[in-house]
Amino acid sequence: MTARRATIATGEISPQLGTALVIVLTALWAIPFCWMLVAAFRPEMFGGSGMASLVPDYLPTLANFREAWESADFIRYGLNSVLICGGILAVQLTTMSLAAFAFARMRFPGRTALFYLFLTQMMLVPIVLLVPNLRTVAQLGLYDTLLGVMAPYFATAFGTFLMRQAFQSIPRELEDAALVDGARWWQLILHIYLPLAKPALIAFAIVSVTSHWNEFLWPLMVINSPDNRPLTVGLAMFTLGAEGAQAWGVIAAGTFIVIAPLILGFVTFQRRFINSFMTTGLK
Amino acid sequence: MSEIAIREPLVARAAAHRAAWRWRDLRAYALLAPSLVFLTAFTYWPVVQVLWNSVHEQDKRAVSFVGWKNYAAILADPAFRHAFVNNLIYAAGTIIPSLVLALGFALALDRSSRLNTLLRSVLFLPVLVPLVAAASIFLFIFLPGVGLLDHYLARLGIAGVNWIGDPDVALASIIGLTVWKNAGYYMLFFLAGLQGIALESYEAAILDGANAWQRLWYVTLPALKPTVAFVIVVALINVVTQVDHIFVLTKGGPADSTNLILFYVYQQAVEQYDIGKASAATVVALVILLAISAVSLSRSDREAQA
Amino acid sequence: MSYRWRHIRAAALALGLIAGASAAQAATEIELFFPVPVDGQLARDMASLIKEFNETHPAIKATPVYTGSYDETLIKTRAAIKAGKPPAAVIMSANFLTDLKIEGDIAPLDDLIKASGTTNEKFMSQFFPALHGNAVLDHHVYGVPFHNSTPLLYYNVDHFKEAGLDPDKPPQTWAELVTAAKKLTKRDGDRVTRWGIMMPSNYDYGGWILTALTMSNGGQYYNEDYGGEVYYDTPSMLGAMTFWNDLVTKHKVHPAGEQKGPGVSNAFLSGQTSMMIISTGSLTFVRSNAKFPYRVAFVPMNVRNAVAIGGASLVVPTGVEEEKRKAAWTLITWMTSPEKSGWWSRATGYFAPNMGAYELPAMKEFMAKNPDAQIAVDQLPYAKSWFATYKTVAVRKAIEDELQAMLSGKKTPKEAIVAAQKTADEILRPYVEQTALKLPTN
Repeated sequence: MTARRATIATGEISPQLGTALVIVLTALWAIPFCWMLVAAFRPEMFGGSGMASLVPDYLPTLANFREAWESADFIRYGLNSVLICGGILAVQLTTMSLAAFAFARMRFPGRTALFYLFLTQMMLVPIVLLVPNLRTVAQLGLYDTLLGVMAPYFATAFGTFLMRQAFQSIPRELEDAALVDGARWWQLILHIYLPLAKPALIAFAIVSVTSHWNEFLWPLMVINSPDNRPLTVGLAMFTLGAEGAQAWGVIAAGTFIVIAPLILGFVTFQRRFINSFMTTGLK
Repeated sequence: MSEIAIREPLVARAAAHRAAWRWRDLRAYALLAPSLVFLTAFTYWPVVQVLWNSVHEQDKRAVSFVGWKNYAAILADPAFRHAFVNNLIYAAGTIIPSLVLALGFALALDRSSRLNTLLRSVLFLPVLVPLVAAASIFLFIFLPGVGLLDHYLARLGIAGVNWIGDPDVALASIIGLTVWKNAGYYMLFFLAGLQGIALESYEAAILDGANAWQRLWYVTLPALKPTVAFVIVVALINVVTQVDHIFVLTKGGPADSTNLILFYVYQQAVEQYDIGKASAATVVALVILLAISAVSLSRSDREAQA
Repeated sequence: MSYRWRHIRAAALALGLIAGASAAQAATEIELFFPVPVDGQLARDMASLIKEFNETHPAIKATPVYTGSYDETLIKTRAAIKAGKPPAAVIMSANFLTDLKIEGDIAPLDDLIKASGTTNEKFMSQFFPALHGNAVLDHHVYGVPFHNSTPLLYYNVDHFKEAGLDPDKPPQTWAELVTAAKKLTKRDGDRVTRWGIMMPSNYDYGGWILTALTMSNGGQYYNEDYGGEVYYDTPSMLGAMTFWNDLVTKHKVHPAGEQKGPGVSNAFLSGQTSMMIISTGSLTFVRSNAKFPYRVAFVPMNVRNAVAIGGASLVVPTGVEEEKRKAAWTLITWMTSPEKSGWWSRATGYFAPNMGAYELPAMKEFMAKNPDAQIAVDQLPYAKSWFATYKTVAVRKAIEDELQAMLSGKKTPKEAIVAAQKTADEILRPYVEQTALKLPTN
């Protein structure tokens, strides 16, 4: 059905030209990655002019990876990123489920006003309020800590909104049946609402982890010690330092190391990944 | 006597009901409390702080109320004016091409086939990559003389430009990087939107004798209007809040040609230690964001009602 | 029986070792913020330097933290001080010390010098006199010179020979520089395939090179004794700016737009420019990577030979606890000793601020093998401190923004310096009003 609809929608507008154009554009899109791959394995040949070549006319070497690995503690940076994303997600799941339940199933004075208040937060991302947030983090004694990086994200209006939608679509009968069985409200949440909202939870988790994994400016402001750097900050520091040494092969290798986990995850869970981005987007 | 007998339990039950309601309200608030604590600490209270800081001036030890002085200062500051104008150019320059490309990609790759899945994945890959990682790669691509662009342009006999060193070109280079990064993301939304178009609409159009272009114009595009609106909102928010690439590639230069409002805030706060001006500029950014959200909320409300 | 005794003895020994090790674990932990302002393996070299320090000083555990460029290091340090977690030591661009002192971000090191049994004068006498200006403020020692540089003219010997120039006679005046650059620039139709000369114009570097040109033009960038005056709108700077502009527009031997430091050295090493004026700090990098013979020379002069000294000093921020301060001092004196000073100089190309370094055999041998490392030292008699004022970075950026605009063809040299002077004066006004313009009212 979709195939037929797609054909009707687009297939007749000179399909050959369209496909060729898209293939060319996609190739263009892939060029930066191609260069990264080719340069990462290229043996260190200064002289610069050969560095830009997309053609692997050399014997591949792992020297760049070794040097990148030794110049920056990527394992530690990766661990920090994992801790940050995991910590944020764990707390987010809690706060958003509780709040969503209140918005979805409870009636209380000021509900609409509070809901709109929540919604505005979706636009006011912490980095825009970087000046006061930095001060707050320092005052709480969280400067240069991973917790300081995570704290502003613990509440999520976006997640609350998603969960509320998911909860609202769960039929009341289930809740009523459980109530009849004598369930308390938190048992309702744990055993009925959350399990049934799992697709939305997973979708949100993927979006949340991806966006915090890629976060740069806020952690850069909060973190000072190299030990606490997440992968993005570590990579930027590494690039800017290696840029001095003009070691583009090493930079390419280092970038590859940083990108690899997400790409691996993407390739493995491709459909889930794309679906989650699409469904969470459609508000 | 029987009246009192009847009334008392009724009164008692009404009181108990009200008590139960208050108890339920408290419980609702308790559920919202964790979120509200963090939201207040890191969103609402900072907004108040920023507003306060924007009308005060910190001078060594003393803090004094200065009214509109900071706002006047940023309006007089050529760096801020540049940043503001740049943000507008950047918005138009990234949103329009990204939209067109994303729509084009979605239309072309809508059908499910192995080739299409591969192409879609390649186009989506830049979205997964942190902006700093992309900027590192593009730092080399833009390198004058030996970088990727100049290298292949030289092969074609065309002289390269100083991609991020020439004030006339630098913003365009940043725009190019942003479009590359985000088009795949918006493509996904369009793909989802396309799937929502009912087959019947097309069949009706065919029965009416519409050709392919007319079907595109009269069926597909109108049906995608809400998706387009949504993508524009997301893109606008990104335009205001994403400055990682500026940080790595140009630091707002050369000559403020790639300065953006949020980067200006960073410069004023972290490099110039001028909290007053930084806060005033933040307020400007907040107003823009709130305007975007107000428009998008009212629109979705209208749709929900329709 | 003896079996069990042996076991117990072994266990006791093991326990003793562990206890001993954990006692050593109570080493003072200090952080050193350091920048990498030039090309080269500086981050790696710093890591190995600190590693050696830690191994030879078990009571201290120093962690090197790479903090970007000079400007970024300043920002990071101030942010850390504000958040109450200052690093114990920072390698800070030498010309930031005035600003840091005015803002109270660094403390004098006099007490530490006295505690180590010497006086300020004796301590500073081990460093080249030209470096004292940026390190001793108000007769107090605020920083210890770590590495210093002057700009040098690097040139490609092969290109010189090819263009009919004598590699033993590098250009010594601006006129000679233009002549040489014109002969060296190669074109393929309208496209330039090889530039005659390139100079960096990104933040921090651009201002430094411009200073060298202005001083070579007889000028003075700023008031050395008072941090509230800079001299942008002056004939000497107008001459320097016009000269740089002419290289781009009139003689067409220099590319337009902002050139970043790594881009310039990259171009030189890949043969796309025949000459470049960059820091001596990149000398080792160029030496290791150049696949052609090259030489270095003084910066060409117009009125006189004069350049500004770049480089950095080690400082101790305020708010560091006494334990860490003492540990930092141990690190500082170790790093600036003749041996380590010399080692760092050989590894990078910076010249060693500690004069004693040049007396050591390792250094003498190195200089004999690499005469190009001597040029920077030879230029020292003509070198003066780099500009240091209130809000140094902002004042410096005032002229750098205009420089970049001019090099991109957006402003004339005169417009640029007038605008820069205006901006700089505006930035300096609060300080000036509190000092020079604070007059008695009765």
